[in-house]
Amino acid sequence: MRDAYLIGAGQTAFGAFPDESYRSLFAEAYEKAVESVGNGFDSESIDEAVVATLGVGGRQLGLPGPAVTEHVGLHNVPCTRVENACAAGGSAVRTAVQAVKSGMADVVLAGGVEVMTDMSGDVTKYWLGVSGETEWERLTGTTFSGVYAQMASAYLESTEATHDHLSQVAVKNHANGAENPDAHLNFGCSLDDARSAPTVASPLNLYDCCPTSDGAAAILIASEEVAKDVSNEPIRVAGVGSASGRVGLFQRDTYTSIPATIEAGRQAFEMAEVGPSALDFAELHDCFTVAELLAYEDLGFCDRGEAYTLIEDGVTALDGDLPVNPSGGLKSKGHPIGATGTGQLVEVFKQLRGRAGSRQVDGARRALTHNVGGSGGAVVVHVLESAVAA
Amino acid sequence: MTRIAGVGAYAPSLRIGGEEFEAAWGAFDAPGIETKAVPDADEDPLTMAAEAGRRAMNAGETPPDQINWLGFATTTPPVEEGDLLPRLSSLLGIEPELTAHFGGSTRAGTQALVTGLETVDGGAGLVIAADCSRGAPDHPEEHAAGAGAAAILLGADGAAVVERSDSGTVTPGLRFRRRGSEQTERLGVTAYERSAFRETVVEAIEGLDVELSAIEAAAIQAPDGGLPYRAIRGLDLDAEAVGAVETVSALGDTGAASPLLGLASALERDLDRTLVVGFGGGSGATALLVEGNAPVELALDGEVDLDYPAYLRRRGELTSGPPEGGGAYVSVPTWVRSVPQRHQRIAGRCADCGSLGFPPEGACPDCGALGDYAPVALDRTGTVEAVTEISQGGAPPEFIEQQARSGSYASAIVAFDGPAGGSVSVPAQVVLVGGQSVAVGDRVDAVVRRIYTQEGVTRYGFKVVPAEAGP
Repeated sequence: MRDAYLIGAGQTAFGAFPDESYRSLFAEAYEKAVESVGNGFDSESIDEAVVATLGVGGRQLGLPGPAVTEHVGLHNVPCTRVENACAAGGSAVRTAVQAVKSGMADVVLAGGVEVMTDMSGDVTKYWLGVSGETEWERLTGTTFSGVYAQMASAYLESTEATHDHLSQVAVKNHANGAENPDAHLNFGCSLDDARSAPTVASPLNLYDCCPTSDGAAAILIASEEVAKDVSNEPIRVAGVGSASGRVGLFQRDTYTSIPATIEAGRQAFEMAEVGPSALDFAELHDCFTVAELLAYEDLGFCDRGEAYTLIEDGVTALDGDLPVNPSGGLKSKGHPIGATGTGQLVEVFKQLRGRAGSRQVDGARRALTHNVGGSGGAVVVHVLESAVAA
Repeated sequence: MTRIAGVGAYAPSLRIGGEEFEAAWGAFDAPGIETKAVPDADEDPLTMAAEAGRRAMNAGETPPDQINWLGFATTTPPVEEGDLLPRLSSLLGIEPELTAHFGGSTRAGTQALVTGLETVDGGAGLVIAADCSRGAPDHPEEHAAGAGAAAILLGADGAAVVERSDSGTVTPGLRFRRRGSEQTERLGVTAYERSAFRETVVEAIEGLDVELSAIEAAAIQAPDGGLPYRAIRGLDLDAEAVGAVETVSALGDTGAASPLLGLASALERDLDRTLVVGFGGGSGATALLVEGNAPVELALDGEVDLDYPAYLRRRGELTSGPPEGGGAYVSVPTWVRSVPQRHQRIAGRCADCGSLGFPPEGACPDCGALGDYAPVALDRTGTVEAVTEISQGGAPPEFIEQQARSGSYASAIVAFDGPAGGSVSVPAQVVLVGGQSVAVGDRVDAVVRRIYTQEGVTRYGFKVVPAEAGP
C-alpha cells in the first residue's frame, strides 16, 4: 500500500458561537485547511470527502455530509458521513487515509463539525449521553460523566492514584489551553480550583470534565505524489490503528482500561514501526481527566497503575519528556464531538510544522493522536511524523 | 380450609413527623398520627406490593411457582385504567392461574382477603393490599395520607379466618376520589362522618359471633389515629386491643392496607385472636375474626426523617416534570423484551462455555459463541464493582424529575452471583436516602422500583439499596 500524507489542516476556534451555523463553521475550517497547504493547491483536486458528526440536536441527521460540502462548493464527489460518537473525527481521518492508501483517491477531505451550545436546556439534556449503552447503562441514570466516574471509582480503588492526580491533569491541560487561541476554555486553573470544583458525578467534579463546544476542523490527506507536489512540509501518516469495544462499560472485563485503546495503539505502533518512546508528543482523548491517565497505561507510556507518576513528575507537561495535549486537550481546547478527532490532527499539523506559537513542543517530529468514542466502544489512533523524520 | 400461611409487609423508609406540618401550616390535622410513611419518587402501590409480596412468600417459605391466585387491592393505582396484575405477577416471579384487582374503596384490602380465602382451593395464593393516597396539601386527608403494603400468603397451614360479617350504609362523602383526580377528599361534615364510620363498623363487628371482651388485637381501618377508638366506644371491646396492633400512628393512613397491616402486627406479636375490620367510604365494612399464628416478615421501620420542603419535593408538588423529548429513546416493545431481566434479573448461561451473560443476548461475553443461553435467575444480593453518585444536573432526562424530587442517586455496576457459581456484571441504579453512600466492594440488595415514565407508560424494574446484612 502506498503512503498517505497530511497536507493541510484548519479549524475554527472551539467555543460557543451563537452567530454561527454548522455549515458556516465547517466552511471556516475547510477554507483554513485548503489555505494551509500552500503552493497554489486547488480545491478542485479534492476527489472525496468524509464528514464526521454525531448530529447533536438533530439539526441534519440525514445527509449532513453533503449538506456541508455543498455549502463550500464541493460538488459531485463521493461524500460519506461517519458516525462513531466522539471518535467520529478520528474515524473520518482513518477512512480518508484508507481511500488514499488504496489508490481509490488522491486527495481526500476529512472534516468534522458539531454545534452543541445552541439548544434549549431540555433538548440538551436529551442529547447528552446518547452514545452510552442506551437500554441498560443509560437507564441506570448515567450520562458520560457517570460512566467515566464509574471507571474513576474503580481506578482510584485499585491504584495508588488519588483524585489530586486527576486534578493535576486538568491543571496541565488548562495551562496548555491558555496558550491556544482556539481553545474553548483558554485560561489556566490552579490545583485548588480543580480540587474544589462542584461534584458532577463522584469522584469527578466540574474540572474533571471537558466542556460541550461548537466547532469544526478539517484536514486534507493526499498521496505521496500529490503531497510532494503541493506541500513543502508534508506529514506522513505513519501508523493507523482502530478497534471496536463493548459499548456498555458493564459488558467489559475491565473498568480500569479501555481494551479498544490497547488494540488500536498496538496496530498504529506496529504500522509505524515505533514505540511510545519515539513520540515527541501526543494528543490524547481526555474527555474526563481519568481518561488521560487510562490512556497513558493503555498506550504503553507507563506500566499499569503508574499513570499518576507521569502527571506527578511532569513527564507529560509541555516541557516534559512526553508532552500530552499541548493543545489543551478536550478538557481545555473543547469537545465539539464530530470535530474533536480531526481537531487533534490540526494540532499535530501545527506542531510538526513548528507553528504552534507559545505552546510549541520543541523539536516535535513525531506525534500520536488518540480518539475515543463513547466510553470505549470505538477508538482510533494515528501516528504522524514529519517527512524528514522518517 | 385455606389459611393465612404467612404475612409480609412493607412501608417506605421515609418519614415525616406531624410537627413538620405544624411548623408549615400552624396545625397538623391528623389526630393520632405521630409520623407517616412517605413513598419515594420511584415508589408507588405496585412497587410496594412487590416488596410486601416477596416478604410474604419468604415468611411462609413458599416458592413463587406455587402461587396460583393473586389478588391486588389498592385505591391509588398508578393508572386509572390498565391491568396491573401481569406486571405485579412478573415482578414477584409468579405465574398465577387467576388474578383479581380490588379497588373502589379502602375496604378493598379485606375484600381481597375474603375473595382469596373463598377462591384458593389447594395450592397457594397471594393477597396484597398497597396504598399511598394523597390529598390537597391544605386538606386534612393529605396530613393523614401515609403509605404501606401488606401481603398475605394463603395456603394449607397457618391462621384461620373463623368468622366474617359485612355491613353497608348509604353514607357517601366520607372518603372518595373524583374521576380524573389524584386527590382523595372528604366533605368534612364531622358529626355525619364520624357517625357513618361508627355505625358501619359496629354493624359489621356485631355480626360476628364472638365475645368481644376477650379480643386482644383489633385491626380496625384507620383513616386517622382517632376514628378506630371512636368507633368502638360503647362496644365491649378494650381500646388497648386497637392500640396493640395499630400502625397508623407511625405510617399514617395506609388505605386498603390498613387493616391487614394491623393483622401483620398482631401476628408478629403472636396474638392469636385478631379482629380485622376493613372500611370503605360510601360506606361498607367487612369484619373478620382471625385465629392462630402465621410467620411474618415485616419491613415497616422508618430510616429517614424528611422536613416539609423535602416532603413536597418527594410528592412532586414543587417540580415541573420531565423535559421535552428527543435524543435516545427506548420503545415500549423494546422495554417489554427485557422484562425478564428488569423484573427478575434473569441472566443467561452460555451453552458453550457456561459463563453468565447479562442481558442474555448476542455473543457470549467470555467465549464469543453465538449459541443459546439457558435462563438463570441471579441472586438478590451483589457486590459493587464501580459506582458514581450523580449530582443535580448530571442525570439523563429520564431521571431528571426523579432527581429533582428525591435528590442524588448513585449508579453502579454490580456483580450478581448466579445460582450455581459464577457472577455477572449488571448496571443498576442505587437508591440512596438520608446521606447514605456506597463504595466499591459494598454489598447491595435488589428492590423493585419505578425506573421511569415516558408517554404515560411507567417502566418498572430493579434498583439496588445498601444490603441489610453485612458482606
